[in-house]
Amino acid sequence: MSEINTLRELRPVPPPAELEAMRMAARERLVTGMARKRAPQRWRRPVLAGGLTTAAVAAGAAAALVLTSGPGVVPGQHATAGHSRTVVTTAWTVREDADGTVNIYLDEYANPAGLQRALQADGVNAIVRSIPYVLQSGFNNKSVVRPTCNYVTINDRAPLAVQGRVLTIGRRALPALFIVHPDAMPPGSALFLAFMANPPRAAGNIALKPVVLTNDTAPACVPVADKRPGQSAPTPTAKAGRPAPSALPKAA
Amino acid sequence: MSIDTRASDADLIVQSLTEPELFTAVFDRHSSEILRYVYARLGPDLAEDVTAETFLAAFQCRSKYDGAWSDARPWLYGIAMRQISRHRRAEERRLRLLRSAPADGPTEDHSDRAAERVTAQRLGPRLAVALAALPRQDRELLLLVAWAELSYAEAATALGTTTSAVKARLHRIRVRMRQELGDDYPVNEEKDDE
Repeated sequence: MSEINTLRELRPVPPPAELEAMRMAARERLVTGMARKRAPQRWRRPVLAGGLTTAAVAAGAAAALVLTSGPGVVPGQHATAGHSRTVVTTAWTVREDADGTVNIYLDEYANPAGLQRALQADGVNAIVRSIPYVLQSGFNNKSVVRPTCNYVTINDRAPLAVQGRVLTIGRRALPALFIVHPDAMPPGSALFLAFMANPPRAAGNIALKPVVLTNDTAPACVPVADKRPGQSAPTPTAKAGRPAPSALPKAA
Repeated sequence: MSIDTRASDADLIVQSLTEPELFTAVFDRHSSEILRYVYARLGPDLAEDVTAETFLAAFQCRSKYDGAWSDARPWLYGIAMRQISRHRRAEERRLRLLRSAPADGPTEDHSDRAAERVTAQRLGPRLAVALAALPRQDRELLLLVAWAELSYAEAATALGTTTSAVKARLHRIRVRMRQELGDDYPVNEEKDDE
Protein backbone atom coordinates (compact mmCIF):
# COMPACT_ATOMS: atom_id res chain seq x y z
CA MET A 1 0.00 0.00 0.00
CA SER A 2 1.26 3.41 -0.89
CA GLU A 3 1.50 5.00 2.53
CA ILE A 4 3.56 2.14 3.94
CA ASN A 5 5.88 2.22 0.93
CA THR A 6 6.29 5.97 1.25
CA LEU A 7 7.17 5.63 4.89
CA ARG A 8 9.56 2.82 4.00
CA GLU A 9 11.48 5.19 1.76
CA LEU A 10 12.17 7.37 4.79
CA ARG A 11 13.96 4.54 6.58
CA PRO A 12 17.61 5.44 7.22
CA VAL A 13 19.92 2.73 5.91
CA PRO A 14 23.46 2.19 7.20
CA PRO A 15 26.36 1.89 4.75
CA PRO A 16 27.13 -1.85 4.24
CA ALA A 17 30.65 -1.62 5.66
CA GLU A 18 29.44 0.16 8.77
CA LEU A 19 26.64 -2.37 9.17
CA GLU A 20 29.05 -5.29 9.03
CA ALA A 21 31.47 -3.71 11.50
CA MET A 22 28.64 -3.09 13.95
CA ARG A 23 27.29 -6.59 13.42
CA MET A 24 30.65 -8.21 14.14
CA ALA A 25 31.12 -6.10 17.26
CA ALA A 26 27.62 -7.02 18.46
CA ARG A 27 28.37 -10.70 17.80
CA GLU A 28 31.52 -10.48 19.88
CA ARG A 29 29.55 -8.98 22.73
CA LEU A 30 26.89 -11.66 22.44
CA VAL A 31 29.48 -14.43 22.58
CA THR A 32 31.15 -12.79 25.59
CA GLY A 33 27.80 -12.30 27.29
CA MET A 34 26.77 -15.90 26.60
CA ALA A 35 29.98 -17.13 28.18
CA ARG A 36 29.31 -15.08 31.28
CA LYS A 37 25.62 -16.07 31.23
CA ARG A 38 24.73 -12.46 31.93
CA ALA A 39 24.57 -9.26 29.95
CA PRO A 40 27.93 -7.49 29.97
CA GLN A 41 26.29 -4.12 30.39
CA ARG A 42 25.14 -5.04 33.87
CA TRP A 43 27.72 -3.59 36.10
CA ARG A 44 27.94 -2.37 39.62
CA ARG A 45 29.35 0.96 40.51
CA PRO A 46 32.48 0.55 42.61
CA VAL A 47 31.94 1.18 46.29
CA LEU A 48 34.75 3.25 47.65
CA ALA A 49 36.70 2.66 50.77
CA GLY A 50 34.78 3.95 53.74
CA GLY A 51 31.49 3.24 51.98
CA LEU A 52 31.47 6.42 49.92
CA THR A 53 29.58 6.42 46.69
CA THR A 54 29.77 8.96 43.92
CA ALA A 55 26.41 10.28 45.04
CA ALA A 56 27.80 10.93 48.49
CA VAL A 57 30.83 12.53 46.91
CA ALA A 58 28.62 14.70 44.77
CA ALA A 59 26.70 15.85 47.79
CA GLY A 60 29.74 16.62 49.87
CA ALA A 61 32.56 17.59 47.61
CA ALA A 62 31.07 19.22 44.53
CA ALA A 63 32.88 18.41 41.32
CA ALA A 64 36.45 18.31 42.56
CA LEU A 65 38.52 15.20 41.99
CA VAL A 66 38.16 12.96 44.99
CA LEU A 67 40.51 10.04 45.38
CA THR A 68 40.30 7.18 47.77
CA SER A 69 43.07 6.13 50.06
CA GLY A 70 42.08 3.38 52.44
CA PRO A 71 39.54 4.66 54.91
CA GLY A 72 40.23 8.33 54.25
CA VAL A 73 39.62 10.58 51.32
CA VAL A 74 42.32 12.90 50.03
CA PRO A 75 41.09 15.40 47.48
CA GLY A 76 43.42 16.32 44.69
CA GLN A 77 45.86 13.45 44.91
CA HIS A 78 46.13 10.02 43.40
CA ALA A 79 46.41 7.24 45.91
CA THR A 80 45.83 3.55 46.14
CA ALA A 81 43.02 1.79 47.96
CA GLY A 82 43.84 -1.84 48.55
CA HIS A 83 44.74 -3.41 45.24
CA SER A 84 43.05 -0.85 43.10
CA ARG A 85 43.02 2.86 42.54
CA THR A 86 39.89 4.83 42.00
CA VAL A 87 39.40 8.41 40.87
CA VAL A 88 35.92 9.77 41.37
CA THR A 89 34.23 12.92 40.18
CA THR A 90 30.59 13.82 40.05
CA ALA A 91 30.62 13.06 36.33
CA TRP A 92 32.74 9.93 36.04
CA THR A 93 34.76 7.32 37.88
CA VAL A 94 38.01 5.73 36.74
CA ARG A 95 38.99 2.57 38.56
CA GLU A 96 42.18 0.64 38.00
CA ASP A 97 41.94 -3.00 39.05
CA ALA A 98 44.80 -5.04 40.45
CA ASP A 99 45.33 -6.74 37.08
CA GLY A 100 45.84 -3.37 35.39
CA THR A 101 42.39 -3.26 33.81
CA VAL A 102 40.95 0.24 33.84
CA ASN A 103 37.20 0.74 34.16
CA ILE A 104 35.65 4.01 33.05
CA TYR A 105 32.18 4.74 34.42
CA LEU A 106 30.51 7.77 32.90
CA ASP A 107 27.47 9.30 34.55
CA GLU A 108 27.76 12.58 32.70
CA TYR A 109 29.85 13.96 29.92
CA ALA A 110 32.01 16.51 31.68
CA ASN A 111 35.59 17.42 32.58
CA PRO A 112 37.38 15.80 29.63
CA ALA A 113 40.77 17.17 30.68
CA GLY A 114 40.44 15.60 34.12
CA LEU A 115 39.37 12.31 32.61
CA GLN A 116 42.40 12.34 30.34
CA ARG A 117 44.70 12.94 33.31
CA ALA A 118 43.07 10.18 35.36
CA LEU A 119 43.41 7.69 32.53
CA GLN A 120 47.00 8.62 31.85
CA ALA A 121 47.78 8.19 35.55
CA ASP A 122 46.43 4.66 35.26
CA GLY A 123 48.70 3.85 32.33
CA VAL A 124 46.21 4.45 29.54
CA ASN A 125 47.66 6.68 26.86
CA ALA A 126 44.40 8.55 26.43
CA ILE A 127 43.31 11.55 24.45
CA VAL A 128 40.01 12.99 25.65
CA ARG A 129 38.49 15.93 23.85
CA SER A 130 35.33 17.95 24.10
CA ILE A 131 33.30 18.42 20.95
CA PRO A 132 32.55 22.14 20.48
CA TYR A 133 28.89 22.86 19.96
CA VAL A 134 26.25 25.51 19.66
CA LEU A 135 22.65 25.41 20.78
CA GLN A 136 20.02 25.87 18.15
CA SER A 137 16.29 25.64 17.90
CA GLY A 138 15.05 22.20 16.95
CA PHE A 139 11.87 20.17 16.94
CA ASN A 140 9.02 21.98 18.75
CA ASN A 141 11.39 24.92 19.27
CA LYS A 142 13.38 22.98 21.83
CA SER A 143 17.09 23.67 22.06
CA VAL A 144 19.28 21.02 20.53
CA VAL A 145 23.03 20.76 20.32
CA ARG A 146 24.84 21.02 17.02
CA PRO A 147 28.54 20.21 16.80
CA THR A 148 30.58 22.90 15.14
CA CYS A 149 33.28 20.40 14.31
CA ASN A 150 33.72 16.66 14.36
CA TYR A 151 36.73 14.51 15.14
CA VAL A 152 37.58 12.26 12.20
CA THR A 153 39.43 9.13 13.25
CA ILE A 154 38.67 6.78 10.40
CA ASN A 155 42.19 6.91 8.95
CA ASP A 156 43.94 6.45 12.27
CA ARG A 157 41.93 3.65 13.84
CA ALA A 158 43.72 0.51 14.95
CA PRO A 159 42.46 -2.73 13.37
CA LEU A 160 39.27 -4.23 14.76
CA ALA A 161 41.20 -7.07 16.40
CA VAL A 162 43.25 -4.53 18.36
CA GLN A 163 40.12 -2.58 19.30
CA GLY A 164 38.64 -5.79 20.67
CA ARG A 165 41.73 -6.64 22.72
CA VAL A 166 42.12 -3.18 24.18
CA LEU A 167 38.57 -2.04 24.68
CA THR A 168 35.34 -3.63 25.89
CA ILE A 169 32.26 -1.48 25.69
CA GLY A 170 30.06 -2.63 28.53
CA ARG A 171 27.44 -0.02 27.90
CA ARG A 172 27.58 2.91 25.56
CA ALA A 173 24.59 4.96 26.65
CA LEU A 174 24.77 6.82 29.94
CA PRO A 175 25.53 5.58 32.49
CA ALA A 176 28.28 4.17 30.31
CA LEU A 177 30.97 1.65 31.05
CA PHE A 178 34.18 1.21 29.07
CA ILE A 179 36.80 -1.33 30.10
CA VAL A 180 40.35 -0.72 28.92
CA HIS A 181 43.22 -3.21 28.92
CA PRO A 182 46.30 -0.95 28.73
CA ASP A 183 48.68 -3.91 28.38
CA ALA A 184 47.06 -4.77 25.05
CA MET A 185 47.66 -1.30 23.59
CA PRO A 186 50.30 -1.38 20.85
CA PRO A 187 53.31 0.90 21.39
CA GLY A 188 52.59 4.44 20.29
CA SER A 189 48.84 3.93 20.20
CA ALA A 190 46.27 5.96 22.12
CA LEU A 191 42.71 5.63 23.31
CA PHE A 192 40.54 8.43 21.97
CA LEU A 193 37.32 9.66 23.56
CA ALA A 194 35.34 12.74 22.61
CA PHE A 195 32.07 14.16 23.86
CA MET A 196 30.22 17.40 24.29
CA ALA A 197 30.98 18.73 27.73
CA ASN A 198 28.08 19.87 29.91
CA PRO A 199 25.40 20.73 27.37
CA PRO A 200 21.95 21.42 28.84
CA ARG A 201 20.44 18.06 29.70
CA ALA A 202 17.36 18.50 27.52
CA ALA A 203 19.40 19.54 24.48
CA GLY A 204 20.97 16.12 23.94
CA ASN A 205 24.59 15.26 23.53
CA ILE A 206 26.96 13.75 21.05
CA ALA A 207 29.63 11.36 22.21
CA LEU A 208 31.89 9.49 19.85
CA LYS A 209 32.46 5.82 20.35
CA PRO A 210 35.84 5.28 22.05
CA VAL A 211 38.45 4.05 19.61
CA VAL A 212 42.07 2.96 19.73
CA LEU A 213 44.25 5.05 17.44
CA THR A 214 47.41 3.79 15.81
CA ASN A 215 49.23 6.92 16.97
CA ASP A 216 48.99 9.35 19.86
CA THR A 217 48.29 12.44 17.80
CA ALA A 218 44.97 14.06 18.59
CA PRO A 219 42.66 13.88 15.57
CA ALA A 220 41.74 17.12 13.87
CA CYS A 221 38.32 18.52 14.54
CA VAL A 222 36.85 19.11 11.10
CA PRO A 223 34.31 21.95 10.90
CA VAL A 224 30.74 20.81 10.34
CA ALA A 225 28.53 22.83 8.04
CA ASP A 226 25.19 24.01 9.31
CA LYS A 227 22.81 22.38 6.84
CA ARG A 228 19.75 24.34 7.84
CA PRO A 229 18.38 26.43 4.98
CA GLY A 230 19.81 29.91 4.86
CA GLN A 231 22.67 29.21 7.23
CA SER A 232 26.18 30.33 6.46
CA ALA A 233 29.52 28.64 6.83
CA PRO A 234 30.36 26.65 9.98
CA THR A 235 31.48 28.36 13.12
CA PRO A 236 34.62 26.52 14.23
CA THR A 237 34.90 28.25 17.56
CA ALA A 238 33.93 26.50 20.73
CA LYS A 239 30.93 27.63 22.72
CA ALA A 240 31.80 30.30 25.21
CA GLY A 241 32.94 28.82 28.46
CA ARG A 242 33.66 25.41 26.95
CA PRO A 243 37.21 24.29 26.32
CA ALA A 244 38.26 24.36 22.70
CA PRO A 245 40.14 21.24 21.61
CA SER A 246 43.39 23.08 21.45
CA ALA A 247 42.98 24.17 25.06
CA LEU A 248 43.19 20.62 26.30
CA PRO A 249 46.51 18.97 27.00
CA LYS A 250 47.83 16.64 24.35
CA ALA A 251 48.50 13.06 25.31
CA ALA A 252 51.99 12.32 26.46
CA MET B 1 29.32 -28.04 17.61
CA SER B 2 27.69 -28.65 14.24
CA ILE B 3 24.93 -26.43 12.95
CA ASP B 4 22.33 -27.85 10.60
CA THR B 5 21.74 -25.07 8.15
CA ARG B 6 18.28 -26.47 7.39
CA ALA B 7 17.19 -26.39 11.02
CA SER B 8 14.41 -23.96 11.80
CA ASP B 9 14.96 -21.14 14.26
CA ALA B 10 12.76 -23.00 16.73
CA ASP B 11 14.96 -26.09 16.47
CA LEU B 12 18.10 -24.04 16.99
CA ILE B 13 16.71 -22.20 19.99
CA VAL B 14 15.46 -25.37 21.63
CA GLN B 15 18.81 -27.10 21.02
CA SER B 16 20.65 -24.06 22.36
CA LEU B 17 19.15 -24.81 25.77
CA THR B 18 21.62 -27.68 26.02
CA GLU B 19 24.23 -26.34 23.59
CA PRO B 20 24.24 -22.57 24.19
CA GLU B 21 26.74 -21.85 21.42
CA LEU B 22 24.10 -22.83 18.85
CA PHE B 23 22.40 -19.53 19.62
CA THR B 24 25.08 -17.75 17.59
CA ALA B 25 23.49 -19.31 14.51
CA VAL B 26 20.27 -17.44 15.33
CA PHE B 27 22.34 -14.27 15.58
CA ASP B 28 24.02 -14.97 12.24
CA ARG B 29 20.66 -15.46 10.55
CA HIS B 30 18.85 -12.41 11.82
CA SER B 31 21.34 -9.89 13.19
CA SER B 32 21.70 -7.87 9.97
CA GLU B 33 17.96 -7.33 9.79
CA ILE B 34 17.58 -6.46 13.45
CA LEU B 35 20.61 -4.17 13.27
CA ARG B 36 19.20 -2.32 10.27
CA TYR B 37 15.94 -1.78 12.11
CA VAL B 38 17.64 -0.56 15.29
CA TYR B 39 19.88 1.70 13.19
CA ALA B 40 16.83 3.21 11.53
CA ARG B 41 15.12 3.75 14.88
CA LEU B 42 18.03 4.98 17.00
CA GLY B 43 20.89 5.87 14.68
CA PRO B 44 24.49 4.70 14.49
CA ASP B 45 25.48 5.59 18.04
CA LEU B 46 23.24 3.01 19.67
CA ALA B 47 22.64 0.46 16.92
CA GLU B 48 25.44 -1.89 17.90
CA ASP B 49 24.72 -1.68 21.63
CA VAL B 50 21.00 -2.21 21.34
CA THR B 51 21.42 -5.07 18.87
CA ALA B 52 23.83 -6.82 21.23
CA GLU B 53 21.45 -6.21 24.13
CA THR B 54 18.55 -7.58 22.08
CA PHE B 55 20.28 -10.87 21.32
CA LEU B 56 21.61 -11.18 24.86
CA ALA B 57 18.11 -10.68 26.22
CA ALA B 58 16.84 -13.22 23.69
CA PHE B 59 19.53 -15.67 24.77
CA GLN B 60 18.61 -15.24 28.40
CA CYS B 61 14.90 -15.81 27.87
CA ARG B 62 15.13 -18.46 25.15
CA SER B 63 13.60 -21.07 27.43
CA LYS B 64 10.32 -19.19 27.04
CA TYR B 65 10.42 -19.32 23.23
CA ASP B 66 7.29 -20.80 21.70
CA GLY B 67 8.44 -23.78 19.64
CA ALA B 68 5.47 -23.26 17.31
CA TRP B 69 7.18 -20.17 15.88
CA SER B 70 9.50 -21.60 13.25
CA ASP B 71 10.72 -18.11 12.35
CA ALA B 72 12.29 -16.21 15.25
CA ARG B 73 12.13 -12.78 13.58
CA PRO B 74 8.87 -11.57 15.16
CA TRP B 75 10.07 -12.71 18.58
CA LEU B 76 13.40 -10.92 18.10
CA TYR B 77 11.67 -7.77 16.89
CA GLY B 78 9.49 -7.84 19.99
CA ILE B 79 12.60 -7.93 22.17
CA ALA B 80 14.32 -5.26 20.07
CA MET B 81 11.27 -3.07 20.44
CA ARG B 82 11.50 -3.25 24.23
CA GLN B 83 15.21 -2.46 24.13
CA ILE B 84 14.58 0.48 21.81
CA SER B 85 11.91 1.84 24.15
CA ARG B 86 14.62 2.31 26.79
CA HIS B 87 16.25 4.93 24.58
CA ARG B 88 13.40 7.36 24.11
CA ARG B 89 15.54 10.46 23.84
CA ALA B 90 17.74 8.92 21.16
CA GLU B 91 14.63 8.03 19.19
CA GLU B 92 13.31 11.56 19.51
CA ARG B 93 16.62 12.86 18.14
CA ARG B 94 16.38 10.40 15.27
CA LEU B 95 12.91 11.57 14.39
CA ARG B 96 14.10 15.17 14.46
CA LEU B 97 16.83 14.20 12.04
CA LEU B 98 14.33 12.54 9.72
CA ARG B 99 12.34 15.71 9.78
CA SER B 100 15.23 17.79 8.55
CA ALA B 101 17.17 15.42 6.29
CA PRO B 102 16.27 13.46 3.16
CA ALA B 103 16.24 9.68 3.40
CA ASP B 104 19.64 8.07 2.86
CA GLY B 105 18.23 4.88 1.46
CA PRO B 106 19.46 2.50 -1.22
CA THR B 107 20.24 3.91 -4.63
CA GLU B 108 18.48 1.55 -7.01
CA ASP B 109 15.98 3.47 -9.01
CA HIS B 110 13.19 1.22 -10.20
CA SER B 111 10.33 3.28 -11.48
CA ASP B 112 7.86 2.38 -8.71
CA ARG B 113 10.52 2.92 -6.11
CA ALA B 114 11.50 6.19 -7.70
CA ALA B 115 7.95 7.46 -7.46
CA GLU B 116 7.71 6.44 -3.82
CA ARG B 117 11.03 8.08 -3.19
CA VAL B 118 9.98 11.37 -4.70
CA THR B 119 6.82 11.28 -2.61
CA ALA B 120 8.82 10.41 0.49
CA GLN B 121 11.22 13.28 -0.08
CA ARG B 122 8.35 15.69 -0.58
CA LEU B 123 6.41 14.49 2.43
CA GLY B 124 9.36 13.36 4.53
CA PRO B 125 9.46 16.17 7.08
CA ARG B 126 5.71 16.15 7.62
CA LEU B 127 5.59 12.36 7.78
CA ALA B 128 8.33 12.46 10.41
CA VAL B 129 6.34 15.00 12.43
CA ALA B 130 3.21 12.86 12.12
CA LEU B 131 5.20 9.78 13.10
CA ALA B 132 6.59 11.51 16.17
CA ALA B 133 3.10 12.61 17.16
CA LEU B 134 1.74 9.07 17.18
CA PRO B 135 1.33 7.29 20.52
CA ARG B 136 4.32 5.05 21.16
CA GLN B 137 2.45 1.78 20.64
CA ASP B 138 1.01 2.96 17.34
CA ARG B 139 4.41 4.12 16.14
CA GLU B 140 5.90 0.76 17.09
CA LEU B 141 3.29 -1.06 15.03
CA LEU B 142 3.58 1.22 12.03
CA LEU B 143 7.35 0.93 11.94
CA LEU B 144 7.29 -2.84 12.40
CA VAL B 145 5.19 -3.01 9.24
CA ALA B 146 6.88 -0.21 7.27
CA TRP B 147 10.54 -0.48 8.30
CA ALA B 148 10.88 -4.06 9.56
CA GLU B 149 8.56 -5.20 6.77
CA LEU B 150 6.73 -7.64 9.02
CA SER B 151 3.39 -9.01 7.89
CA TYR B 152 0.35 -8.31 10.01
CA ALA B 153 0.58 -11.75 11.59
CA GLU B 154 4.28 -11.30 12.35
CA ALA B 155 3.69 -7.84 13.81
CA ALA B 156 0.96 -9.33 15.97
CA THR B 157 3.41 -11.93 17.29
CA ALA B 158 6.02 -9.25 17.99
CA LEU B 159 3.49 -7.13 19.87
CA GLY B 160 1.83 -10.04 21.63
CA THR B 161 -1.58 -9.33 20.14
CA THR B 162 -3.86 -10.72 17.45
CA THR B 163 -3.77 -10.16 13.71
CA SER B 164 -7.24 -8.65 13.72
CA ALA B 165 -6.21 -6.20 16.44
CA VAL B 166 -3.20 -5.21 14.34
CA LYS B 167 -5.41 -4.58 11.31
CA ALA B 168 -7.80 -2.46 13.32
CA ARG B 169 -5.01 -0.43 14.88
CA LEU B 170 -3.31 0.14 11.55
CA HIS B 171 -6.58 1.40 10.13
CA ARG B 172 -6.89 3.90 12.97
CA ILE B 173 -3.26 4.95 12.50
CA ARG B 174 -3.81 5.60 8.80
CA VAL B 175 -6.88 7.68 9.50
CA ARG B 176 -4.97 9.72 12.03
CA MET B 177 -2.00 10.27 9.73
CA ARG B 178 -4.27 11.34 6.88
CA GLN B 179 -5.79 13.90 9.21
CA GLU B 180 -2.31 15.14 10.08
CA LEU B 181 -1.14 15.35 6.48
CA GLY B 182 -4.36 16.40 4.83
CA ASP B 183 -4.57 16.22 1.06
CA ASP B 184 -0.88 15.46 0.65
CA TYR B 185 -1.18 11.99 2.09
CA PRO B 186 -0.44 9.31 -0.56
CA VAL B 187 -3.70 7.38 -0.39
CA ASN B 188 -4.24 4.31 -2.51
CA GLU B 189 -7.12 1.93 -2.48
CA GLU B 190 -6.63 0.22 0.81
CA LYS B 191 -5.90 -3.46 0.68
CA ASP B 192 -4.40 -5.78 3.20
CA ASP B 193 -1.14 -7.52 2.61
CA GLU B 194 -2.34 -10.73 4.21
